[in-house]
Parts: sequence; C-alpha cells; structure tokens
Amino acid sequence: MQQTEIYQLLKQKYGFDDFRPGQYDVISDLLAGQDVLAVLPTGTGKSLIYQFVGNVLPGLVVVVSPLISLMQDQVARLNYQGEKRVAALTSQVDFKTRQTVLNQLASLNYLFVSPEMLKQSLVLSALQAVQLALFVVDEAHCISTWGPDFRPDYLGLGALKQQLGQPLTLMLTATATQAVRQDILTQMQVPQAKEVVYSVNRPNIYLAVETVNDEADKRARLQQLVTSTATPAIIYFSSKKQTDLIADWLRETTGLRVAAYHAGLSGESRFKIQQQFMADQLDVICATSAFGMGINKADIRLVVHYHLPTTLADYVQEIGRAGRDDQQSLAVLLYAPGDEQLVRNLNDLTAASANEIQLDYQRFQHHQKPVDDLAQVLQFYWEHQYAVDAVVTRFNQRQRAKATELSQLMAYVQTTTCRRAAMLAYFDEPAPEHTATCCQLAGTGLPVTALGLQATARTVTATVTPWSTVLDQLFLQNS
Amino acid sequence: MFADYVLLLFTTAPRRAKALFNVCRGRRTVSTLFAGLTADRLAWLDSWHGVPLSKFEAAANELVQAGWLQIPAPGYLQVTPAGVDQQKKLTQQLYQPVAWAQFQEVDVRRFNVLNQLALQVVSEFSHQTNRYYPVTTDQGMQATVKLWFRRWHSPQLVSQVVAELTGFLTTLPSPLADVFANSLTGFDFPGQTDQQLAQLFQRTPVEILVMRKDLNCRWIAWLRQQPTGPLAALLQPLVKANPVSVSAWQTYQDFQQGASLAQIATRRRLKMSTVREHLLEAAILTPSFPFEQLLQPETRQLLAETYAQTPSLTQWRFEQVQAVAPDLDFFYFRLYQIMRCQRAAD
Repeated sequence: MQQTEIYQLLKQKYGFDDFRPGQYDVISDLLAGQDVLAVLPTGTGKSLIYQFVGNVLPGLVVVVSPLISLMQDQVARLNYQGEKRVAALTSQVDFKTRQTVLNQLASLNYLFVSPEMLKQSLVLSALQAVQLALFVVDEAHCISTWGPDFRPDYLGLGALKQQLGQPLTLMLTATATQAVRQDILTQMQVPQAKEVVYSVNRPNIYLAVETVNDEADKRARLQQLVTSTATPAIIYFSSKKQTDLIADWLRETTGLRVAAYHAGLSGESRFKIQQQFMADQLDVICATSAFGMGINKADIRLVVHYHLPTTLADYVQEIGRAGRDDQQSLAVLLYAPGDEQLVRNLNDLTAASANEIQLDYQRFQHHQKPVDDLAQVLQFYWEHQYAVDAVVTRFNQRQRAKATELSQLMAYVQTTTCRRAAMLAYFDEPAPEHTATCCQLAGTGLPVTALGLQATARTVTATVTPWSTVLDQLFLQNS
Repeated sequence: MFADYVLLLFTTAPRRAKALFNVCRGRRTVSTLFAGLTADRLAWLDSWHGVPLSKFEAAANELVQAGWLQIPAPGYLQVTPAGVDQQKKLTQQLYQPVAWAQFQEVDVRRFNVLNQLALQVVSEFSHQTNRYYPVTTDQGMQATVKLWFRRWHSPQLVSQVVAELTGFLTTLPSPLADVFANSLTGFDFPGQTDQQLAQLFQRTPVEILVMRKDLNCRWIAWLRQQPTGPLAALLQPLVKANPVSVSAWQTYQDFQQGASLAQIATRRRLKMSTVREHLLEAAILTPSFPFEQLLQPETRQLLAETYAQTPSLTQWRFEQVQAVAPDLDFFYFRLYQIMRCQRAAD
C-alpha cells in the first residue's frame, strides 16, 4: 500500500489528517509483511494501529491481552466506535458463550483473548481454521517482566504463534528497555522483527518525588496535594485494602468526589466508576495498578503514587495516564524511608528456594494438581520439560533482576540531579536539558502555581436524585 | 455487615450450617434442599450465588465469637439467647428481603444484566445517540438485547418502558424507588455504585447489595404480574414454570403420567438412584406433591409409629426404622420426612 493510500484511508475511516508519532511507521511495516515490535509511549493510540491493519488485510485480528479488565475496556471501546464484530475470550466467559464465539470466528473482525485461553486446544484449533490478518501481543513487556513469575503462559506465546501458522505479528508495549526488547524478540521467536522505538519521555508531565517522614506524614501530604492541585487525579496504591481505606478517608475529609477502583469490585461497579470518571463526575480515583491500563481520559492532571511502583518501567507506564491532551500535568511519588521494603516483600512472594522447586517437581511427578500460585508457575516449566536445575537458575536470575530493578527505581527516587535524566537513562535514552518545568530537584518545593496546576473551584458532593427525575433524565420522551 | 444477614439464617434450633450456606449458594443437592426445607430457608435458595463457602464460615466464626451463635455439635449452629436479642435488633434496623423467592423460578442474575443493558440501550436511543460504552461486553447478553430491541423498536418504545418503570416504582416505599433508579445506567448517567448508594442513603454496602438484589426480585415479580410490556417480554424466557430443575421436572412429569420408577429409569436411561433423587427434589420444591402415590399406607403407618416419640423430624435417625424394617429404602424414609414437613407448614 502506498503512503498516499494509507493517509487517504486514515482520513476516510477515522477522520484524521495525520498519524500520531510512530503509528505510520508501524502500519507501513506491517502492511509490507514485516513483524514489528513497537515501543510507543502511552496515549499514542496503539489500538488504532491494529484496527487500521485489520481494515486493510483480510481475516481476523487476534489480540492477546494480559488482563481481563483491559480486554473488556478494549471491547467496549471498539463497540463504542461502532465496531460490533468483536469478542473477548477470557476465563469469565461461560462455556456456552465461548462455544458461540468459536463457532462464529469467521464472521468476527477482532478477537481479544487471554494467553491461558489461547493455549486451550479448542480455541487453538478454531483459530487454525480461520484466516488471521494479524496476531497482536498487547503489553508485550509482560513476557519479560511478568512472564517467569506471574504469567508463564506469556512464555508459550512464541510456540502458539508457530502453531497458528506464523501469522503477521505485532508486539506492542509502552515501555521496554533494551534488555526487555531483546527478551520479547527471543521469546516470541521473531529475531528478524522490525523494532519501532519512540521515546518514553513525556515532557508535559512534571516529575516530582516527595520524601515524607512516615505514614501519617504521607497521608497529610496526600490530602494537601489533592486539595491544592488540579484534578482529575489518580492515586496508585499497591494494596486493595489501602485503596479502600484512603479513598474513604479522603472523601470524608476533603469533600472531594473520590472512588476506589480495584480488581475486588464487581464488573458493574468498575464500569460505573470508569464512566463517572470519564464524565467528570469524580475528582479522584484511588486505584491499584489494574486501573488505568485501559482507561482513555485525556485530561488527567495529577498522578500520585502512594506506594512505590515495582519498577521504573511500571512507573513510566502509570504516570503516562496523565496529560494525554498534551497539557501540563504532574506526577508525584510519595516516599517514606523504608517503603522499598514493601517492594522487596512483594518480590519475595514470587521467589522460591531450590528446595521448594525440587519439592514441587516431585508433586508434578506424582501427578498432583498445582495448589498455589508458585506451583501454577512451576507447572508450566514441568510441562515443557525444563530440568529442575534450569528452573532454579531462572528463579535466581529473576530475583537478581528484580533486586536490580528496585535499585534503579531507588536511584530515581533518591537522585540529587535531574530526575528526567535519571529516568531516561534507564531506557538508554539521552536526556533533554533540565528546565523549570522538567522535574523537582531534591530539596526544592513543588511549583504548582508556576505550572498552572492550582486547584479550581469544585462541585459539592452528590445528593439523592428523586427517581422520577432520574427517569426524566434517562428517557427523553416526545412531548 | 454480611455476618448480620448470616445470623438471620439461623434459629434457636440446631441447624447444619454448611447445608444452609449451600442453600444460599444455590447448591441443589437433595440433602441441601432438604436442609432448606426443614429450616424453612428455601426462600434463600441461590440468593448468595457465587459467594464462597469460606466467607460464610468466616462470618459464622465472627458470630460465634460475638456470642450470638453457638456450636451444639460439630457442623451445627444455633442462635444463643443473646443472639435472639441481636436478631430482633437486626430485623428492625436492617433491610429485610421480601421477594427472594424469585431466585427459585427465574434466572435473576441473567435478567439483572439484560435489564441493565436494555434500559441503557433505550435511554441512549431516546437521546438519539449510538456511541456509548455498553454496561456489559458479554456477547450473549448483547445479542439477546439486540434481538429484543429490534422486535420492540417503535416510536412508542420509550414511553412503554417509562410506563413499566413508573408503574413498578410507584408501588415501592421510600427510599427503595430512589435506590433502584439511582443505580441505573443510561444517557449521561453512569449510575451509582453500591458503595456510593451506601453513602447517599446511609446504609452499609452489604445492605444496599441485599436491597438491590431484592429490588431486582420485586421488579421481576411486578413484571410477571404485568406481562404485556417490553421489559416483561425480556424477562419472559427466563421464567421457569416451577423451581424444580429441568431434568427432575421431566422425571416428575413421567411419574405423574403413571410411569413406574423402573420404567422412568429405562426410558430416560437414568440410574434408579437418580430417578429417586429427582422425585425427592420435586417433592421438596412442590408442596402439592402426591406423596400417597409413593408411600403406601403401611409404610406411612410404620414410619409414624417409629418416630411417634420424636416430634422434631430433623432428629429422626434412619437406623431406628431400619431396625424394625431392614428392607425399607432410605428414599421412603426421606420422602415421608418431606411429606410431614410440607404438611406441617400448611
């Protein structure tokens, strides 16, 4: 396809005159039959890429996605755009619906699927029977950062791609260091894939780290931040319980419209909170990192991390929810000495000693089912004939890699020079010159006013709407 | 608190806790259903579908710790005198469901989703928009609502739906109608979550959850009484003629038409024990079950005499009658218990 044709289609189908950075490169490479690993910053419209290619090439676009909530968001978004021939296959879909979807594969344009579901023989053979336009691995960094510990099924994606007859493949991620990119290409068995890498730098997000004394201090500072700074805001936590507690507390003490959002909520509640946030009916969302992976709100002004993220890559991904409208935004990481211990504890949860690994291998040999998370992860290795020694080595390497990730994150937190330079160094990118709107240097205050991010007047808290008023509002009747 | 509602499941008579929890969780084994019948808790059947047993057990532990429940024998729970006072307090303070029996005859959970989506579709349609995020991305649900919308699509649809909703909401005491309406989703109105409704109406989230489940059941009950509108039509395919499972109902029909148990087993290629389980399920869930057709007068007399000194039928032990009549099948013993229970309730 010629460049002019591609632009014509963009105008005709999506109404845009120009692509966002990276989109054109990836699309033209894919249309030329080239597998692509695309590293594009959040907010660059990665889904447009596979939609565009799906429009041009005949067959089904299969999107492998790590989180059910993310898939549901993507399906909803395609529905919203008027695309009806789209379905998701996850563990939450009941057997009957799953069968219906598989029987209708040939008439679908997009299928979102979790890696666990993809490896099921029924799903795989149904996919082998239809033409595939494109095989997309979304959040492809999961192969590396999550793979060996949390999502072993991502490791099998390379083999599954072979079984699907080597379809044209697009690997998408917002953040990947050189090492992770290499890992993705190796695991996916596509060494010849083209790499399209755009900078992770988001110049309109001011980077700040505030060191506080303790938990009480941290709460007070958080309260001060959300009341004095422009919203909408997202506050990230590492535990569901804290998310709920602080959301309640902020709502009670600030009068702001605050909601908690995490995987413990019902699908209905998650939907409502997302929609309220999109409709500017919420000022602050307190979330675990599950939130935001699929949300597409352009005017988020503030992202606060109440706990440390696990890696700098995750951090960049999470603050990337801010300022998608290219307006000035603010990312604040609240740090109390010792916070890194929480990350270490989380890392330890996924660690395993040589002895534990050996014992689990015996479990496998005795044909016993895996009972805990660790055993589920190890099960993948045993099923793929890994030797115990090799698995022990992998686990050790993984723990060392996590320790390194944490020290890189701490280097960002504790740097006395430009934070943006420290962040970009992690991604092997050169730093732009430090300016007043770049980042907060150690020991300096937060220039909220200078950034134009002061809080504006806020609406009062919600009241009960009488049911007859609700009906009038919902249903417009011809009078 | 969830535990408050768990306390209301029990009485001062000892009950098998796990069986009652399983009634709530919608388990339909004969022993679960029988426990529900004898404890007069069948109305709770399937009302807490999907809630893990461990959550019930944790709540029961809390209640034992608080001194409101006690453990008379392993696996059994009963309300203590202090628990009776607490129950009185709770029944005054807490919202009490009135329409949960709908769970037995209607696929309530499926209707909830369909109803939410259908109302959203009609709301957006009334504002002439078609770009919106659907409340569910479930393909099956979307397809059902799409067909429904096509069939009912007309200039009157919006007013018909508003008429149905208004008709129902005016039957409700305050603040139930407001809770129901504020939880809906539609044009420029995402709706309130249970957490938010709890703050607005100053109740706990669990109470709102119970209230909303009950409101959906009340809505279903109302639509079953007024079966001509579009939403009643959406509900109709989800209503079963009776609470008995499809397969057990078929066995029961064959039996009513005069087939013997052995004939049914052969015809339906079922084990004899399965046929008996089916009939027991039908007997538990059908107060008008023709017990006399299966229980001969001699058997009834034998059982009545054996247990004459044991008024509480949950305390009957099968071994007692076995000692007198070693050939008597457990089936007849259980069937007789069910009969006594059904007739006592009348």
